[in-house]
Amino acid sequence: MTPPLIELDRVSRTYTTPAGTITAVDDVSLQLGESETICIVGESGCGKTTTGRMLAGLLRPSSGRLLFEGADVWEKKGKDLARFRRAVQLVHQDPYASLNPTRTVAQTLAPPLAKHKKAHGRAARAAMISLLERVGLTPPADFLLKYPHQLSGGQRQRVSIARALTVDPRIIVADEAVSMVDVSIRISLLDLLHNLSTEFHVTTVLITHDLAVARYFARKGRIAVMYLGRVVELANTEPLVSDPAHPYSTALIAAIPEADPIITRTKKRVSLKGAEVPSLLNLPPGCVFHPRCPLFEPGLCDVVVPQLGDLPGGRSVACHVALRERQPAAELLGVR
Amino acid sequence: MPVLSVRDLSIEYRTRRGPVQAVRDVTFDLEQGETIAIIGESGSGKTTLAVGLIRLSPRSARITKGEIRYDDGKRAFDVLSLDSERLRRFRWADCAMVFQAALSAFNPVITIWEQFLDTGRAHGMGDKHKVHDRTRELLDLVHLDPKRVLSAYPHELSGGMRQRVLIAMALLLDPRIVILDEPTTALDILTQRAIIDLLRELRGRLGFSTIFISHDLSIAAELADRMLTMYAGRVVERASVDDLFYRPRHPYSVGLMRAVPRVSGALGSVVSIPGSPPDLIRLPPGCSYYPRCPFHVERCLEEDPPLMQVDTPDHEAACIRWEAVAAALGSDAEAPVAEKLA
Amino acid sequence: MTAATGLVDRRDVSRIPARLAGVVEFLRMMSRKPVGLIGLIGVLFFLFLAYVAPLIVPLQDQVDVTAIYAKPSWTHPLGTDFQGRDVVNQIVFGGGDIITTAILAALFSTLIAITFGSIAATVGGRLDQIILAITDVALTIPQLILLIVIAAIFRPSSFFALAVILALLQWPALLRQIRAQVLSLKERDFVEAARSLDLGLLHIIFREMLPNMRSYIVIHFIIAMTLAIYAQAAIMFLGLVPLSGKNWAIMLYFAYNQGALFFKDSFFYLMGPIMAIALFQLSLVWLASGLEDVFNPRLRN
Repeated sequence: MTPPLIELDRVSRTYTTPAGTITAVDDVSLQLGESETICIVGESGCGKTTTGRMLAGLLRPSSGRLLFEGADVWEKKGKDLARFRRAVQLVHQDPYASLNPTRTVAQTLAPPLAKHKKAHGRAARAAMISLLERVGLTPPADFLLKYPHQLSGGQRQRVSIARALTVDPRIIVADEAVSMVDVSIRISLLDLLHNLSTEFHVTTVLITHDLAVARYFARKGRIAVMYLGRVVELANTEPLVSDPAHPYSTALIAAIPEADPIITRTKKRVSLKGAEVPSLLNLPPGCVFHPRCPLFEPGLCDVVVPQLGDLPGGRSVACHVALRERQPAAELLGVR
Repeated sequence: MPVLSVRDLSIEYRTRRGPVQAVRDVTFDLEQGETIAIIGESGSGKTTLAVGLIRLSPRSARITKGEIRYDDGKRAFDVLSLDSERLRRFRWADCAMVFQAALSAFNPVITIWEQFLDTGRAHGMGDKHKVHDRTRELLDLVHLDPKRVLSAYPHELSGGMRQRVLIAMALLLDPRIVILDEPTTALDILTQRAIIDLLRELRGRLGFSTIFISHDLSIAAELADRMLTMYAGRVVERASVDDLFYRPRHPYSVGLMRAVPRVSGALGSVVSIPGSPPDLIRLPPGCSYYPRCPFHVERCLEEDPPLMQVDTPDHEAACIRWEAVAAALGSDAEAPVAEKLA
Repeated sequence: MTAATGLVDRRDVSRIPARLAGVVEFLRMMSRKPVGLIGLIGVLFFLFLAYVAPLIVPLQDQVDVTAIYAKPSWTHPLGTDFQGRDVVNQIVFGGGDIITTAILAALFSTLIAITFGSIAATVGGRLDQIILAITDVALTIPQLILLIVIAAIFRPSSFFALAVILALLQWPALLRQIRAQVLSLKERDFVEAARSLDLGLLHIIFREMLPNMRSYIVIHFIIAMTLAIYAQAAIMFLGLVPLSGKNWAIMLYFAYNQGALFFKDSFFYLMGPIMAIALFQLSLVWLASGLEDVFNPRLRN
């Protein structure tokens, strides 16, 4: 069997703060194949961004390994490491911070082309034109000499994507890449990222707090739901949104207001026991979700940390009760 | 009898490039106890309109024409003719505004109790005990523990708690109208749900009217009775929430509805609106939406149509092609636009 | 500019109007703050006076005992000095050295600050601490006294050597600013992107970071020039460097030591160099304050 393209192997990341040590990501494993689309979903503080940065090799895990084509990235040196760096590119959240305000689009795209493709002069210009066309900035010649402040948020994100594409990446990690652009144009950006995976075999990872965006983007892929540093559910997108297996994903999906008055009025809700998310400084023992969980069983959930296990239908869930009953939480809670 | 009626309101910003026509000829009524959601892209003028209603616009803004009439049954006046003292009273006692629960909405160095006290005093509640009693009552109402919250500083509260405090503060003087600007943006899903439920509960209990501004259509679907779609400073469609979601007649409303994916139900054909909003300093001739509109015909270049009745008397759209839009959507069934166009 | 962008830029004609538009935009923003514009005009005037005027006007160097301390007249608008030489002529010829030294000193100090500030922030750790410690020591030493001591010991005779000495005293403030800026820019998304694109440290420092610090650098440069001029005036007035050539500060030294204070007709001889120095300094400070607005994006719109 060929190894997955990129893999997080039981990675954790801890931070030392004045108030104590916090575990931002705890024992997360994720395997991504070529041209896959996957979304990492969760609320603020769930560790999704930290996970994305570890996946992109920008942050060293406190423990665990990052494997690229089967080899440990953090053991790599020199040329190998540089090759990995280029293979994974990040698209940032804030279109106002991700481009250098003092450089034109051409000045942003040219250096990586010159350094890694030896493209200069006419060749560089042709490459830039084709990149801008690929990210939907037409007519491309109009954009080459523009400074970031002359572009809209959506256009800037497109330039960011074009910049990432200058080095032919294998993986693109997009961290909340659409949350700061206008609703009316989010879909076209998501489509652009999605096409990279279908047409150019780039594996795309979208990190988002918005499940509707995740569902649309990863409609042919998978979603990983994170809660307080752990992946609590990992499944194909449609089963996950229609029939969530973890009580947390179930609560999340039930709570989301929908852009459809009838659905949103008639949606079944899941009531949680506590409103406040526990502090990362003082995580509950056992399953981190147990203090709020409607399926909580004393003596089990507050003692043993649940591991991801398989349920029928190709889904993994880290919930003692769902795994024991062999049924997704949505069924157990009657909110299907 | 509407509690607020707005007629032909126009607001302009002065910039070095020329005047920006941020709000153009906006007319609508807000009924007693009703919730109106104003939707549109950034730059559509929705926030300018909202702050314009209580004349809280920045100094570069100017209301060029129109009328804002307030009438709660006991008192009636034109908001635009109030002097600064009466305007100040109107802003909190009759029509309160709740901003996004950013830390910047608070004074960082005083406790929540002092914020309530300052607000109360600034609006003529001289009796400290009275303010205290009212504050406790309101905090109970927004499901916060007064003991814990009153002595806290703003940064000690979570985003959800801060939003609850802001809502409670807006209700201090029992206003008849509450204006909410992106009330749940930047909150986590479960917190957002709690705030939505709270707003619905308070509205039912206290009977105030609500205007809220959001780029998030799903919150409009949850809370609104009626909706206004704004584009390039104009109201281009006015409809009940169901009509706007299931039977939109302005191509821009259709575009917005179609641009938002859902979690439940069929995904349908989700598509972004092509192009970008027009430059409000140099508006194109004719209908401002013309360059982005898939339904446009030559005549759209010539006239900027006013709101006209479509389907029912309570539904208006500013589009000469609304019948073509209706035909393209096919059925009038209660199904979202993205599904009908799939 | 990298090779690739250079070629693209040169081939594209639309670049030229863009550049021109940049100049026009710059002037337009400067004109919004009259003080900055006056400063700019003043600085340009003095640069013209110091570097172009000497090529046009002949040097009047000969001693004229018949005209010692002459009153202002058509031939001598600011009168003459203790040897009967024209004061205006001396002011024209006396600006070059002092301004050149100031520019060189500002240039050297800026280079030192940028180089070591960037290194401290990017390398970090022990090296950062050492550089910071040296900077703090340099910041706390009373500069003028140190300058006097150094000048007295080394007696720098060329303006180049003098500029180096002045620069050695001026870098600490900018170094601290550059270090703080680099530390914050290092965390910016676009710098992170450049890192994942493997563009190299030199590219990151010179293409991504430095252009974002140009306001600090330009304003520091101007302020450093003013300090260098004061410092020159001080040590020359005290006679601590070999007094050769024409120079506003040397004029001042001679005016003072030749007893110009005691002749009532020598008022303009004394005031000439003082005003030249003061007006040039004022122009620089005003220019800096105008530029601050141009660079501050929050004040732009």
